[in-house]
Order: sequence, then C-alpha cells, then structure tokens
Amino acid sequence: MAIEELEHTADIRMRISAPDLSSLFSESGSALAKTLYGDYPFETPTVSFSIEAEGKDREELIVNFLSELLFLTETEYLVPQKFTLTVGDSVSGTVEGVLFDRKKHAGGTGVKGISYSGLSLTGTKTGYELIIIFDI
Amino acid sequence: MNDQIHKITNNEWEIPMDFVPGMRVPGRFFLSENLAETLEDGALTQLANVATLPGILRYSLGMPDIHWGYGFPIGGVGAFDAETGVISPGGVGFDINCGVRMITTPLHVSDIPDMKGIIEDLFTAVPTGVGSKSPIRLSQNDLSSMLEDGAKNAVEMGYGMAGDIPRCEENGAMGGAQPEHVSKKARQRGIPQCGTLGSGNHFLEIQVIDDIADEATAKTFGVSEGQICVMIHCGSRGLGHQVCTDHLQILESATKKYGIELPDRQLACAPLSSPEGEAYFGAMAASANYAWANRQIITHIVRELFVKKFQVDYEEMPLVYDVAHNVAKWEEHEVDGLRQKVCVHRKGATRAFGPGRAELPHEFRACGQPVIIPGSMGTSSYLLAGTQGAMEKTFGSTCHGSGRVKSRSSAKKCQTGEEVAHALLEQGIIVRAPNQAAIAEEAPDVYKSSSEVVQTVHDAGISRIVARLRPLGVIKG
Repeated sequence: MAIEELEHTADIRMRISAPDLSSLFSESGSALAKTLYGDYPFETPTVSFSIEAEGKDREELIVNFLSELLFLTETEYLVPQKFTLTVGDSVSGTVEGVLFDRKKHAGGTGVKGISYSGLSLTGTKTGYELIIIFDI
Repeated sequence: MNDQIHKITNNEWEIPMDFVPGMRVPGRFFLSENLAETLEDGALTQLANVATLPGILRYSLGMPDIHWGYGFPIGGVGAFDAETGVISPGGVGFDINCGVRMITTPLHVSDIPDMKGIIEDLFTAVPTGVGSKSPIRLSQNDLSSMLEDGAKNAVEMGYGMAGDIPRCEENGAMGGAQPEHVSKKARQRGIPQCGTLGSGNHFLEIQVIDDIADEATAKTFGVSEGQICVMIHCGSRGLGHQVCTDHLQILESATKKYGIELPDRQLACAPLSSPEGEAYFGAMAASANYAWANRQIITHIVRELFVKKFQVDYEEMPLVYDVAHNVAKWEEHEVDGLRQKVCVHRKGATRAFGPGRAELPHEFRACGQPVIIPGSMGTSSYLLAGTQGAMEKTFGSTCHGSGRVKSRSSAKKCQTGEEVAHALLEQGIIVRAPNQAAIAEEAPDVYKSSSEVVQTVHDAGISRIVARLRPLGVIKG
C-alpha cells in the first residue's frame, strides 16, 4: 500500500495503490486525512462512526465515500485513525478516530471537495491504483 | 504558445473554433507576452471545452490569472443565453462566492508600532484553518435567514454597519436564493463555520496604500496614500462546498437527461430553465449569501479589534467594496447590439462593471466599480476600477488574483515555512498561519507576478489601476 503526492499546480493530486478494493478505500481515506491534518501521530481511537456510500460506478463510489468522510471530519471534528470497510457495489463500514486537537492536527489544509478531474481507478498486476485530486 | 492560437492584440489571444470538436464560439484570453509562458495546456483545453456548452455567447473567456481548474479553468468567464444556455457548477467552483473585500482605516504605518502583536491578536480572534469553529452559534432559522439575506442578515445580527451593504456586489445578497435546495448536510457544515476564514489561499491581510495611480478615483473610493487597509479573502466554507458536491451529482444525471454532449464530465450542467438548473441556481445563490455574511462577520471581528487596540471609531473603517470570485449571476449585457439578460459564470474572476451601471452605488457610478485584486503574501495587491472596455470585451469581468504557477508539493520542496516567513520578515512583512506548511505552500514565488497580471488587465482595458497596496502583516488559513 502506498500514498504518493503527485504534481498539481492548484490542488492536491494523489496516487494511491493497494492490493484490494477495501484497502484502497481505506488508504484513500488516510490520504484525505493526511491532506487535512498533515502528519499526525497514531492514537488509540476514542470515537467511531459508521460510513456508507453508493455510486453508479467505482469512480463515483470513491468520490462519494471520500465526500462522506470529509463531511464527518467537518461536522464531527473526526480525525480518522482506522477504517474497517466492505467494498463492493457500495461501501459500508466504520471509521474510528480521535477528535480534532489544534496542537496535534493543525498541519494540513482544508479540502473543498473530491474532484472527478483526472480521476482514475484501475486494476494493476498487484491490485488497484487510484489517482485522485482533492480540490483545496 | 500553441501554434493554433492567434494573437489579436498585444495582450489578447484567440482560440479558433476547431481547437476541440463541438466549439460553438471561439475562445479569447488575455495574457502579456511574459505571462504567455505560464499558460498550461490543460487550462487552454478547458477554455476551449467551455466553448462547447449550449447557449454560450460570443466567447469562452480567460483572464490573465488563468490556470488549470475544475471544469472551467480558474480565471474563466462564460455568459449564457437565458433560453438556450446552461448552468454548470464547473463554472462556479466548489467554493461558491469565494471573494474578497477591503476596508480602510484612519491609521498610518506609524500608528501600528507592534504589527506582530496585532497580527497575533487577529489570528486569535478570527477562527482560522482546518477544524476552526465559529464564534457565533446559529440556529437553523438563523441560518435560513442568512441564506436568504446574506450580509444584510449579518448586519441585522450586529455584525457591521448599514453602510456596508451597498458596498457589496449584489448588495451582499443575490436574489433567487432557495434555501430549500441547500441540503441538511450542507447546513450541518455551515452552522459551525460562519465567521471563519478557512484555509488554502484564504487570508486576512493588513496593508498600506503605497501608490496612487488615479487620484480622483482613489478619492471617490475613499483611499489615500499611506493609509492602512485590511483585505479579507474567504468564501462559503463547507456549506458552499457541500452544495457544489450535492448538485454536481444531480447535474451529472441532468446532462444525460437533456441530451447535452460534453467533452469533459466536470462540465456537468443543465439548461438554465430546467428544474435541475433552477435548483442549483437557488442553492448556489443561497451559498453566495452565506459567503457574504461570513466575510461580514469577519469584518466585524477585525473592526472590533482595531477599535480596542487603536481607539479608532468603528465607523472610521468603512468597506470600500466586496467582490465575488466564484459565482453565476443573471446580468444584463449588450450582445450583438442588443441588451439582453444573460447568466454570467465567473470562476476565479471578478465582476468589473464600468461607469453608468445601475448596480453600482451612486457614488461609484461615474468612475466604475471598485475591483480588488489581491497579491500573494509578499507582493502588492491592487485596487482597480471597472471599465467600459470590460463591458464590451468580457461581460464586465477581469482577473481575480495572480494565479498559481507552482504546485504545493514543489513549493514545500523549495523552501520551508520558516524560511519563507523569515524572508518575508526581512521585507517587513509578518506572517502567521496554523502551520509552517501553509506558509511554504503560499510562498510569493508560487504565483504569477500580481503586478504583471494587473498591468495586463489595465493594458487590455478591462479594468484600470487606481491604487497599489503593500502587505505588512498576513494571516494565512
């Protein structure tokens, strides 16, 4: 599994790879959290939220999943630490984390939305690769 | 420059109709020779793609701060016929009515011996960055009123003065707002964030006017050399972002439903007269109103602090003007000799109405609308005036800033936040942010030269320079 930031003039463009779809979705959630909060320390989760998303195709599914996660971060002040997801035609599961603390988590930048711009989710020899832009 | 592009004048270029299949009008953009090197192929293609949208009038337009965006390029302008045209969130952006305003003060540089102290106090008073919470607690009803009445609602709650309202584009509240099309989720994001600055390129900056290019217009705008001003750049926060996310999905389906062929999924749109198009317009207008209220509340916090710190009167800090950057609006323009109602999308562009327009406050009607163009942390901002040239060439529009030329990741590789802050301090500029990365990502050299961008719009006649402002202290989100 890997998260790599690619060049983009205005926004944050990420390449995320993982051996299976569930891991890919979890990693993409971690990539979003890293953008929002920078490199923050792992802590034992103290809060847990269920998360669900649907989509007409896998691209829409990942966009909707990340949009749901963004919503949780802004309304519940959730800093994600651990994802437990089932991914098929839809995605469902839980995201566990801690509450935002400016002293530990103020190292990133706000994300306005999850973009379809240049979005690709493809199968590879070793699993899946996602390229996605977070609009900031 | 791509060899298919024709040069029209020194600063104006045309994209021919065969640049991408299906273009209905040519593209036109404004760049000086120097800035031409900064044009990305992606932005050029986006500008051409916009020209394929149904009902687009005259040209797909690009301002000199053009760069690669979502759907439309940033710095893109498109006007659409009321009957045959479409509306697209890709022509507005995620941050609906991200915009900028400027207030003046009676102070001069010598009146602020401790710039670091006032910046620190502002940083504490104005919630800034990821995770920041509103200083006020809105009820659902309060929020509904805000979505309807924008800045006026904020003033009624005690955040500002009645005189602020006519100094806002659209009087701080777009007509046609339909809060019922703002989802529960968007409301949940909006309630705790009203009166917060946000992050990214949003900022609050103390500046001094260091050059006046047009004394008469400067006097009309209420600015003079040596005067301390405050500029506030922010938008509709999570509420507007969620409205964009929600309606993009609806409009994606609508695009297919109405048989609209698109070269790019990000240009999802619907006819202006369709239920989906009208719903997006209503939600977008409500979000725009929230953004005006947001900037109004921050203005109030700034004024309160200045009153406390410098013993000036609240009324001595009038709003010069407030302009929207990301919005679609109904306006009247002359097209092929006929005045008609059109929907103008401005995506990272500023309205720049020339003299005589009824939408302007009476005192500005003879000289044109104030246009506020921020620089970056270390470079000058400008106050300009709208022109007749903008009415003729760009549906009353001009640039909105400098435009990025370097990615955030490469900016961070070049310099640390500490290094950028130190270099700025050597120039007499205090910078404060929630983290050092935010400073590195917004270093002055990641943007085009604001002076060159502004000179280009001045030379192209789509707005004219009135005053230049030098940064003294800045808060980055």
